Amino acid sequence: MRFYLPPELEAHQPAELRGVRRDQVRLMVLPRLQGPMVHTQFDALGEFLCPGDLLVVNTSRTLPALLRAHDEEGKPVEVRLAQRRSDEVWDALLLDGRAHIGQAGMRLDFGQGLTATVEDRRPDLPFLWQVHFDRCCIPLLDLIYRLGEPVRYGYVEKPLPIDLYQTVYAGEPGSVEMPSAGRPFSWQVLLKLKNQGVGLASILLHTGLSSTRDDQIDLTHPVYDEQYFVPEATARAVNDTHAHGGRVIAVGTTVVRSLESAAQADGSVKAVRGLTRLHITPDYRLKVVDALLTGMHEPYASHLDLLSAFVAPARLQAAYLEAIQRGYLWHEFGDVNLII
Amino acid sequence: MGSLNGKVCLVSGASRGLGRAIALEFGRQGASLVINSRPSSAKELAETERQLNRLGAPVLSVLADVSQRADVERLAGEALMRFGSVDVLVNNASALGPTPMPYLVDYPIEDFNAVLQTNLAAPFMLTRALVGQMLAKGSGSIINVTSDAGVVGYPTWGAYGVSKAALDQLTRTWAAELAGSGVRVNSVDPGDMDTAMKRASEPDGDASAWAKPETRTAVFVFLAADASAGVSGERLLAAQFVAEKGERS
Repeated sequence: MRFYLPPELEAHQPAELRGVRRDQVRLMVLPRLQGPMVHTQFDALGEFLCPGDLLVVNTSRTLPALLRAHDEEGKPVEVRLAQRRSDEVWDALLLDGRAHIGQAGMRLDFGQGLTATVEDRRPDLPFLWQVHFDRCCIPLLDLIYRLGEPVRYGYVEKPLPIDLYQTVYAGEPGSVEMPSAGRPFSWQVLLKLKNQGVGLASILLHTGLSSTRDDQIDLTHPVYDEQYFVPEATARAVNDTHAHGGRVIAVGTTVVRSLESAAQADGSVKAVRGLTRLHITPDYRLKVVDALLTGMHEPYASHLDLLSAFVAPARLQAAYLEAIQRGYLWHEFGDVNLII
Repeated sequence: MGSLNGKVCLVSGASRGLGRAIALEFGRQGASLVINSRPSSAKELAETERQLNRLGAPVLSVLADVSQRADVERLAGEALMRFGSVDVLVNNASALGPTPMPYLVDYPIEDFNAVLQTNLAAPFMLTRALVGQMLAKGSGSIINVTSDAGVVGYPTWGAYGVSKAALDQLTRTWAAELAGSGVRVNSVDPGDMDTAMKRASEPDGDASAWAKPETRTAVFVFLAADASAGVSGERLLAAQFVAEKGERS
């Protein structure tokens, strides 16, 4: 899907730093099949949900995954962690500005005693290198926190505190970018929804990078394999919701990917911990998820393919053009869209 | 079977005194522990870890200054990575301020701010970082360590007393906002104890008259355990709790 996104519609900072509460960003409600769109504020979400509906959120916590290192010759290397492969090995982008760099055997020095060796490229995703750190587990995590900063793109001018990149229900850390569709939730909204009879369940999927910093590669929409976890309680909640005529509303594309990966042929969901390479396209027939709360996605973003599984591309395009006309804000700190 | 079997408890300021005593008692009661202190107390925190290891309690030590925003997120992240969740948070880390303790009129503004940052902002930030995953589960217990200096206007206890009075109010407000959620927030006044902080505050005091921290932990175990479900927004006195329960003297 192509459209022009005016720079002034890029959200540069979180809602709180723009003078509004996190739950007061704008909400565009787009009926999946027909009917007019509604433009409102996020804290009115409950008006569009019914008792018996189920919200499913991704509780992954965001890490400061942008690290700065030097190679053996002292040249700076920007390391963007992409996905944890094992206790001490991460897939990562190695950058000099926006240029991809890296070679097998390269030694990286991050400071504070942390070093790593660059091993091989990922054969299936050759822009990613496997970076083998000199330590693992909590000691490695500790230094990632001490040395890292949140992954950011040009529209965010300077590093922000990592806590601004957390959803209010964030648990175990592992995402390298915020699962941002859930950012507008406050507990005030969530507890109100609970009182309204809307259920809450969770999955865990540690997000990877949304951009390789190379437009040509990004246009190919590379498919990452991602670890995901659908707990037993969530599988049960999803199945009960459908059995009682409720709707399952995914908060974010990571939740769609997880639930659809855990779907059985009969449309039920089973508890699973595994790796998914599911790529949801406009032709994909959704088995589990009935509605989607998501951010406003960039032109050409692969997420737009996934959105087109919920709503016809032409209808989505019209909605996005209207959102632009009405001044909605884009990116992880921007406004959100309920497709229902 | 201890009363805290299966629970993950985070205790800030666990390198010595009451914090260490709480951590050890939680360990005896079957809890897994995340213990924390400032980097300057690393050796003492390692000793707490050694004692927990001897008890067989799973433990993660994190050196972090909880008055610092980035350190709070690091501490929360490491705890959640290690154990998956945190069920009980004890906001125990506390700063006394300059010693000998000055009158408010003589109090350096920087020291006043630093005391509030450690004793008030830190519990707010740490609770904020961890309460979401408790709310998502529908259960959790947060215990703030307060003091009678937050109730009585003792001369020279200015910044400390102000911070503890505010911490009591923070406790009540959290509890009111989270009522019915399954997450409970209470404060405990441990009373006079023979700790390094107490000796620093009253160098001429009679230490033999002060309780050992180990005798003040029962109320913390009670609030951390499921037995206290429904107790929230309370300010409990550790000595009174012991006297009424008759568990320790």
